Parts: sequence; structure tokens; C-alpha cells
Amino acid sequence: MEEPVIVCENLKYSYSGQDGYAVNGVDFTVAKGEFVSVIGHNGSGKSTLARLINGLLEADEGKVTVFGMDVNEGSNAVEVRKRVGIVFQNPDNQMVASIVEDDIAFGPENIGIDREEIGRRIDWALSAVGMEKYRHSTPAKLSGGQKQRIAVAGVLAIKPEVLILDESTAMLDPRGRREVIDVVRRLNKEEGMTIILITHFMEEALLADRTIVMNRGEIVLSGTPEQIFESGEALETYNLSLPRISVIAENLRSAGMNIGNVLKPEALADEILENLNSRGIYTGESSADCIPESDIKGEWDIDIKNLAYTYSRKSPFAAKALNGINLHIRDGEFFGIIGHTGSGKSTLVQHLNALIKLPQAEKHYRKPKVKKGEPLPALPSVTVGNFDLADKKTDFKSLRANVGMVFQYPEYQLFAETVFADVAFGLKNFNKKLSAEEVEAAVKSSIEIVGLNYDEVKDKSPFDLSGGQKRRAAIAGVIVTKPHILILDEPAAGLDPKGKKEIMELLHKLHREWCKTVIIVSHDMDEVAENCTRAAVISEGEVFACERPSELFSRPEELKRLGLDVPLTAKISTRLGQNGIIVHSDCTVKDFSEKVIEIYSGGGNA
Amino acid sequence: MLNDVTFGQYYPVKSFVHRLDPRFKILALIAYIVMLFVADNFYALGACALVLTAAIIASRVPIGSVLRSVKGIIFILIFTSFLNIFFHKGETVYWQWGIMTVTLEGIIFSGFLILRLFFLVMASSVLTLTTTPVSLTDGIESLLKPLKYIRFPVHELALIMSIALRFIPTLIDETNRIISAQKARGADFESGNIFKRVKAMIPVLIPLLISAFRRAEELGDAMDARCYSGSKNRTKYKKLKFGWRDAFALFFFCALIAGVVLFNIYCYDIFPEIYAYIRIS
Repeated sequence: MEEPVIVCENLKYSYSGQDGYAVNGVDFTVAKGEFVSVIGHNGSGKSTLARLINGLLEADEGKVTVFGMDVNEGSNAVEVRKRVGIVFQNPDNQMVASIVEDDIAFGPENIGIDREEIGRRIDWALSAVGMEKYRHSTPAKLSGGQKQRIAVAGVLAIKPEVLILDESTAMLDPRGRREVIDVVRRLNKEEGMTIILITHFMEEALLADRTIVMNRGEIVLSGTPEQIFESGEALETYNLSLPRISVIAENLRSAGMNIGNVLKPEALADEILENLNSRGIYTGESSADCIPESDIKGEWDIDIKNLAYTYSRKSPFAAKALNGINLHIRDGEFFGIIGHTGSGKSTLVQHLNALIKLPQAEKHYRKPKVKKGEPLPALPSVTVGNFDLADKKTDFKSLRANVGMVFQYPEYQLFAETVFADVAFGLKNFNKKLSAEEVEAAVKSSIEIVGLNYDEVKDKSPFDLSGGQKRRAAIAGVIVTKPHILILDEPAAGLDPKGKKEIMELLHKLHREWCKTVIIVSHDMDEVAENCTRAAVISEGEVFACERPSELFSRPEELKRLGLDVPLTAKISTRLGQNGIIVHSDCTVKDFSEKVIEIYSGGGNA
Repeated sequence: MLNDVTFGQYYPVKSFVHRLDPRFKILALIAYIVMLFVADNFYALGACALVLTAAIIASRVPIGSVLRSVKGIIFILIFTSFLNIFFHKGETVYWQWGIMTVTLEGIIFSGFLILRLFFLVMASSVLTLTTTPVSLTDGIESLLKPLKYIRFPVHELALIMSIALRFIPTLIDETNRIISAQKARGADFESGNIFKRVKAMIPVLIPLLISAFRRAEELGDAMDARCYSGSKNRTKYKKLKFGWRDAFALFFFCALIAGVVLFNIYCYDIFPEIYAYIRIS
């Protein structure tokens, strides 16, 4: 082992006003050039540990030594931060300047580097994150992944030797996440930079040399990713989930297949192949089993035709968001809308409850003038159940009561003094005539269905709830009107794995008992594969495809070209398919495992 | 709703005026405004109009965008010209009713004032249309630099301005998002009297305020982590450069100043017979 660059000895820290230690007796050493990933549920003390290491927080007990310097010694503060850089979660809240190069210059300016050298460092930092072209851009115009890469460049320009990423990928879409992770891996491999990656994504944690698991302020597991993800049960007790790939491997192992502890989809596919080959199983080509689609019209069908939309029309900043969308969502579906940031998916769903109105429904709408002989331009139309959104006279308020919309990070919209008042807000807006008892009954059932204890939370301030509880309360505030259709934009964003699982379970419960149609906007392919009956892929303002997940993900190349990922099961299926094993699964982990086991034990259909 | 407030007025094209040093542009605007008020005759005002026209042409900003800025002051223009036409004292009286008189001098004076305000607003908007808020801040910071010696916190002020600029688009986005979210929950921001509307904004303002504080806290941490410790021993990467374009434009402004001063002095001698109509009293 090389010389240690960071040494933590019996580190303890507690936030004022909170019981117990956020970090409780951590002993932890990082060697030069090492790549360490840190996982743990929300509130396990990961971020606190990061802040203790570079002196943003001062330990109550114990000692942190960075490059031989005691971090708690005030005079070392700047010197420590020069050596240990940290990138935070929200890219928006780390930038001080409106121009990329000015922002990157901020760090070097602070430590008194001269002008020419700052210029060279900006060049180097931008090329290290692959953003040379954006030197004179403004952050507001960049995507999340690009912004976060600029944040990384801003830290790199100080030339640190250790880079800490504190959930820096949590708010990014898959493409942005991949961009940032690629940069981090390259820095580790090529520049020999020491990396501490704090993350909720098990797939990212796998990339490290060493993984540390934190629980209640303590380090409970430490080892290579293979060792850590070997046992699902241990992780389960620390409120973490196994990566999907380990779940599949475990399912197959329990059916008697000889599968090692692999963490890459290709490797798992190869192991499955070996098992099948040893029994001489080939499935060969066979046509996909088609389930005929029903054409029965439901009461609450959504029908969208020729929907186009441009932001800031007639200005030099005009931006086309939607470019002729045609889509039909049936009553009772659990529908997914996929697309990366900027594909137009958020603009699309905002039309469904008339937050963005069709031009014909606007007060001052005038019919476009058409020259004689030319055909009329196709007008956009949207109908939701019996509501015609192109009609000025439509009762939009009643439409909104029936089409609930949960925005991204809904907890940021909580405002009232008590949870009760916040949940009741929407109900009272839509129906002013309700009696106090009726309001209470509706609020109570709404709070209870999202899994909160009514008596416990109703008089609490929404701001005193925990992160996951806040999100539930915010969802309760939308579903309190019992909408027929519930739309959620990235409902699981920013949650830890357990929180994600629980939110998806909640949505299924709502789908069964409360709202007939659920539409989720997501960029997590696994989430869509596991949960949705059908999904539409939106790209560049158009519908690229609208199918069942199993069909959608059977064409991974096309999705990749759009900058989208495919779920893990589809990756393994593709590899198997190339080697003559066709697995017809609906792309969920459970069904995929079962189908593979079926082939294995049934001897296939060859 | 808020999308219509394009932040700042900057018109993104490349032009001679766009590339001028912001410090020069700020000082030139100040000089131009002073000249507008020094000018007391239509010859001098004509010289000002000429320079403004040249600037607008060289800026490649459509004239419509420049004129749009005048819309905001139309009410003031109408109001002041009304006062001037009816209450300005003069010798050639056309109409009289009580204390209200319409005189030749009043009409000339009112026309002069309208043009003066017109040019002033247009010139200011040429500055904001051709200069990004960021370089305006840089310009202001650089111009204020001498105040450091009287212990004025120039660096801190500049940093505050820079961060404010940086977060305006972010907060506008956030406001739009919260408004949409509360609208989806049936909130109504568009009807009712003024008190009702103000009250309706509470569900927007509280989350916005809370988020602004959260952002401020996170930004503080990020700045600390990037070694920020005040203006002590700090260097500055960006340097503004006074280039040939600025020298060229400076020449024009010197000519303008000379022109205005000369016209003011020799106003009578050019065409003595129309002097009464040219000069304001």
C-alpha cells in the first residue's frame, strides 16, 4: 500500500440541536491514487465525513490528518482545501460567475495564482472534463451534466491531489451521470488523482477499488466492490439495496446455476451462456410472442395530436421544445415517458393539465391566415377524457382537479405552517364549498395512503419532516382531490435506493386504489422497465417510439444513438441473443431471472 | 408569464459596438448624457442624434429593439410635453385660457425636451443591448477600483453583483416551476383584487425564500471549499483591454463634445435669421 494521504482517527461529529453523532467513531485511511466509493442510506453520515475531511466542519473528537497536516488546526484550512477539492450535489449552487472561464478562475484567484498561470489552468481543467468548447458559455444554458463537469473543472483548477464527489451525480440524468463518472475515472487512471466518490448509485460504487458502507455514522463494511456486493442480506440491514445485477445473479444461483460474483452485464451474460452451453442448450431464433393491443376506448383516455410548442417565440432566444407529438395514453395505464433533459418531456406533460395551454385556448387566439388554395395547417389537439383542451370554454380548473401533477422535487413546493394545511391547500382551491369535516376526511385519507401517520404529522411543520416524508406529504397534497390521472416528473429523483423503492411501491398502490392512470416521466430505464405497462421515448420534441418496455428495449442500439441507456436486463438479453439464446422477458429483474431459469431447467426449445 | 422577462436586454450579435470595452461604453454613455444636457440648440442636438445613429448602425441591433425601450417612458414624455406646451411662458402667444398658454417658445421647448429624453433612453438601451450584464459588472468594478483607497469594499461589491447576476436566471426558473406546481394544485394567480393576488403569491414566495436560503448556504460551502477567504491576496484573471476600437470610438466622442460646445457658442452666427427657433430659452 502506498503512503496514506488521508487518515481519520476515531472521528466524531454531532450537529447542534440533534441527538447522537452524525459521524460516530470513524477510522478510515485513504492511500495515494486510490479510488474509494462510499455508500450508505440518507443520513448515514457520508456527507458529514466528506466535510470533516476538508475542514468545512470541525470534528468534536478524533483527528483528521491530510498530507500530514492536522485539519482542525485553523491555520491549515486553506492549505488543506488546496489539496482536497470537493464537488457537491447541486451544480447550480456551486457557481459564482455567469461565464464558464470566470467561474473556473474563481478558485485559482482565491489562492493568488498569477494571470498567465490561471489561463493555463483553465485550459487544462476544461480539457480534463472535455468542455473546451464551452469556455465562454453561460452556465444557465448548459445541461446538468455539463454544469457539473464545469463544477469539477472549477475544483481541478486549484490542482488538488484528492477529489471528493459528494453525491455529485444525484441530480443528473443518465447521460450527465455517465459524463461525470467518465471524467472522474480518467482523472484517477491518467492523472493518478485520489478519488472519494460518495453515491447512491450502486452501479457507480462498483467502479471503485474499494467500497465503504456507512450506517448511522459508522463504517460497517469495507472491501472490494465484489466482496461488498456478495451478500445481499448484510446490505439489506443497512437500508441499502443490492445492485440489480447482483439480484439476478443471486436468483440464478438459487436455481442451481453456477454463477460467480460478477458485476458487469456482459460478464453475467457470459456466465449464463457457459451454464447453458454445458447442458447443450440453444434456443435459436423464434418470433416474439405478440399480445394484441386492445382498442377499447376508456373513459379517461388521453389523446394528443400534432402537438408543437416553441418557447419565447419571436425572440432571438426562441427554442423549439415540441415538434409534432402524436400520442395516445389509455385509461388505466402505468405509463412511462422517457427522454433525457431537454427532450421536451416536461413541456409535453404540462400540456396535459393545461399549465401550458394550446394556442387555440388562449384568450387572444386568432386563426392563422391561409392563402387560397393552400391546405390549413394542422392544429394541435389534446383531449383528456371529456375535456377538449383546444376549447376556450373548457373548465380548466376542473381538469386540473382530475389530472394531478407532481413536479420534480415536489418537497420544494411545501409552504404552509402545518402538513394538514399544506395538503388541504389544493382541495380548498378546487372546491370552496367543502365542509370542515369533508376536508378533514379527505386530507386524512390522503395523508394515510401515502404512508404517513396522520395524527403524528398533521400539526407538524412540513419543514420538520425527513426528506422522504416531505416528498410523501407533497404527493399527498396533489392526490387529495382524487385525480383520475396522476402525472409525476422524476418521482424518485435524489432519493437513496430504499427511498426509491418505497416511492415506486407507493405509486403502484396509488395506481391500484386511488388514481386509475399513472404517468411517470423518467430517465431511469430500469425504473421504467420494472414498473410501466407502456412507455414513450421522446427525443428532440418528437415521439421516437411508444411500446411495451419489452419491445422498446429490444432495440438497444437505437436508444443508445439517442443518448439513452437500456435497462440491465436488456443488456444481458442482447448479449445472450448474439449467442443464440433468446429470452422473452418483460424486462423486469424478476421475470428475466425466471425466464432464464426456465430455459436452464427446461432445456430450451431447441 | 415570467418567461417574457428576458433577463437583461442583451441582443446577441457580434458588432463593433458589442466589442468595445465596457468601461469605455459606460463612460461614453455618461459623457453622452452630459452632452445632451449641455446642448441648448438644435444644431448641437443634431450632432448628438448623428452619433447615436452611427452607434445604432454599428451595433447591428434592429432599430425596433432600440425603439422598444422608449415605450416605457411614453407616458412621461406625454405628461412633460403637456406641461411644457400649456405652461411654458413665452412671447408669441397662440392661445390662452386662464393660466394655460400655448406659445411658440413652449412648443419648441417641449419638442426639444422630448428629443433629449428620447435620445437619452435610446443611448442607454444601446449600452444594455450590446453589453452583457457580466461585462457591465466587470466595467463597473474596474471603474470603481480607485475607491479601494478610501476603504470602499469594491471586490466584495463586485462579487455580490456577480453572484446576483449568476442566480437571476436560476431563480426565475425556480419561480416558474413553483408557480406551475401551485397552479396544478388549483392556485389562482390571475383573478381577484390586488389583496387577493398578493395573498395568492404566498405559496410561491415561501418556497422560493426557503430555496434561496438553501442555495446561499450551499454556495457558501462551495466557495469555502474553493479556498475563498476574502479579497486578501487575491488575484484577478480577467483584464479589460482598451483596444483600437475604443480609440476609434473615443475619437468620435471627442468630436461630439467639441461639436456640442462649438454649436452652443456659435449658435447665433450660423443662421441668425432662424436663431429664435433653434435655441431654447
